[in-house]
Amino acid sequence: MTAPFSATSPTGSIFDLGYRGYEGPRLGRAHAIRSLFSHSLRSAYGIGRGGRAKIAPVIFGGMAVIPAIAIVGILTLAARFGEGANEAISGQSPIRYETYFSTISTVVVLFCAAQAPELFGRDQRHGVISLYFARALRRTDYALARVTGFMAALLILELLPQAILFAGRALVSDDLLSAIRRDLPSIPPILIHGALSAALLGGLSMAVSAFTPRRAYATAGIIALFVIPGIVAGVVAGLGSTSIGTWLILTSPTSVLDGTNAVLFGSAFPSDFFFIDLPDWAYFAAALAGIVGAVAVTIRRFMKISA
Amino acid sequence: MGLISIRSLTKRYPGGVTALDGLTVEIEPGIVGLVGSNGAGKSTLLKVLLGLVDATDGTATVFDLDVRTHGTDIRQYVGYMPEHDCLPPDASATDVVSHLALMSGLPRVAARERTAEVLRHVGLYEERYRAIGGYSTGMKQRVKLAQALVHDPRLLLLDEPTNGLDPAGRDEMLELVRRTGTEFGIAVIVASHLLGEIERVCDFLVAIEGGRLLRAAPLGSFTEQTGTLAVELEEGSDGLAARLTASGLEAIADGRFVLIAIADERPYDIVRDAVADLGLPLVRIEQRRHKLEDLFRDEPGAVAGAGTAGPLAGVGEPPG
Repeated sequence: MTAPFSATSPTGSIFDLGYRGYEGPRLGRAHAIRSLFSHSLRSAYGIGRGGRAKIAPVIFGGMAVIPAIAIVGILTLAARFGEGANEAISGQSPIRYETYFSTISTVVVLFCAAQAPELFGRDQRHGVISLYFARALRRTDYALARVTGFMAALLILELLPQAILFAGRALVSDDLLSAIRRDLPSIPPILIHGALSAALLGGLSMAVSAFTPRRAYATAGIIALFVIPGIVAGVVAGLGSTSIGTWLILTSPTSVLDGTNAVLFGSAFPSDFFFIDLPDWAYFAAALAGIVGAVAVTIRRFMKISA
Repeated sequence: MGLISIRSLTKRYPGGVTALDGLTVEIEPGIVGLVGSNGAGKSTLLKVLLGLVDATDGTATVFDLDVRTHGTDIRQYVGYMPEHDCLPPDASATDVVSHLALMSGLPRVAARERTAEVLRHVGLYEERYRAIGGYSTGMKQRVKLAQALVHDPRLLLLDEPTNGLDPAGRDEMLELVRRTGTEFGIAVIVASHLLGEIERVCDFLVAIEGGRLLRAAPLGSFTEQTGTLAVELEEGSDGLAARLTASGLEAIADGRFVLIAIADERPYDIVRDAVADLGLPLVRIEQRRHKLEDLFRDEPGAVAGAGTAGPLAGVGEPPG
């Protein structure tokens, strides 16, 4: 401890206050889980990290909202020609609530491949995981907070452009209230499908990245998981075994989501697999099985990992 | 209340390695050195106490709480500095430490304040805003200590805190550990294989080997009379060794050195007189500690029985 002011001391001394204990509240496990959830959500967008960590999320985030912004811009222009022109364009536009998920599904997959390995891979690569496990968290808490944080990041990626679309359609319309009333029925399927999609794609990509500290392996694994099953199903169907190929499509996460999207919005299945005629429940069962399986595999991984 | 109570603790890893083998020991608050050679089970013991590793058998309690069932409650009040690297290179010390404070249950504002305070305490100032990737080993060790202290733990577990540090860095780290234990009243357990370092900061030692307890006792009873006196001469070491042997000491010449077993105070005077009588060009006289692993390897009972270890077990070893 440094002596306090004395007559001889020069002005501007540095005081060593010594170590002080912490008497404040300790909020424990729940607080730690919440903090790790929001840290994962922010990290998925590179927030709180260096400039380089923001490049991929900014690019993919931009690509996800550009179609929405573009169509709102077109609607704004069309509004000058009256409500009729606007309606005509809205009806003709390839970018609608029910097509948006499949429009940006490639971008979402790339976002997963780029960002999911950041969350689990960094912690394992640099040994940070022992510091987490030595704190007021359990291993399961750590895994769940990271996974759900990433799912929340994906949910934002999926819903933000829909929100832009919704707001744009309402604002360019002559009658705001009736425009909102017109689009209101689309909101439940948007929310349900957004949640399903974020949980399935987020869960699967986090499950893959939980297994390797190497970023490149995780990225390749995630892309393979999202792309290869669809190709296999297509090949099997193409070889003539349509019924097996049809059921195999349920191993392709993006095709499953195309299925749930079609069911929820009552629209056509937007993929190349026009011949598919699976019962509605099959898509939802496949999606739920994927989510539960992915989360279970991830938790199991972190229960066993040595720290 | 006991700080740590360990009963018949056994840990076998899959593959047959037994890291802890029926270890029983009580540890009271203070600065406790956990010594043993590499692979003695030090790191495993710390991990069991943290609940990072499940014991195969036996029980352990910290703050009277079972480590199996109250892991998160215990860890709120325990700081852990692992042996290996554990810091992400692309984040700053401030970011890492404040994030980990949140993970220990501190509110956000408190986490930020404590981070600034604890980084200042370990001696990191402006550099704390830079990415850790550019830090020296010494600075990284300080950050590792800071993250273990940030939530003001009641117990600090340090696993080889001087690993990879140069002599000056070791001194500074040991001084930080000593201050943390004595001035802040935090109980500290320092695991190390270097008895020479640990004896500078600890007041109690727990020695383990092969996962078993060798001895748990106050520091003094460990280190007394376990050393070797090394006399460095410009020349004439053979003559001095012969003279000392004739005086009844165990002494051998080793190059420019004469190594003498010291069982009590007697050799110091004899050596001084012998060097003076022979008129030898003396460079220095220093007391050498054996590396603990050497003591243990040669004779497991060595530490307990003062001076009964092969007195010159440390021949050829650099000063511990």
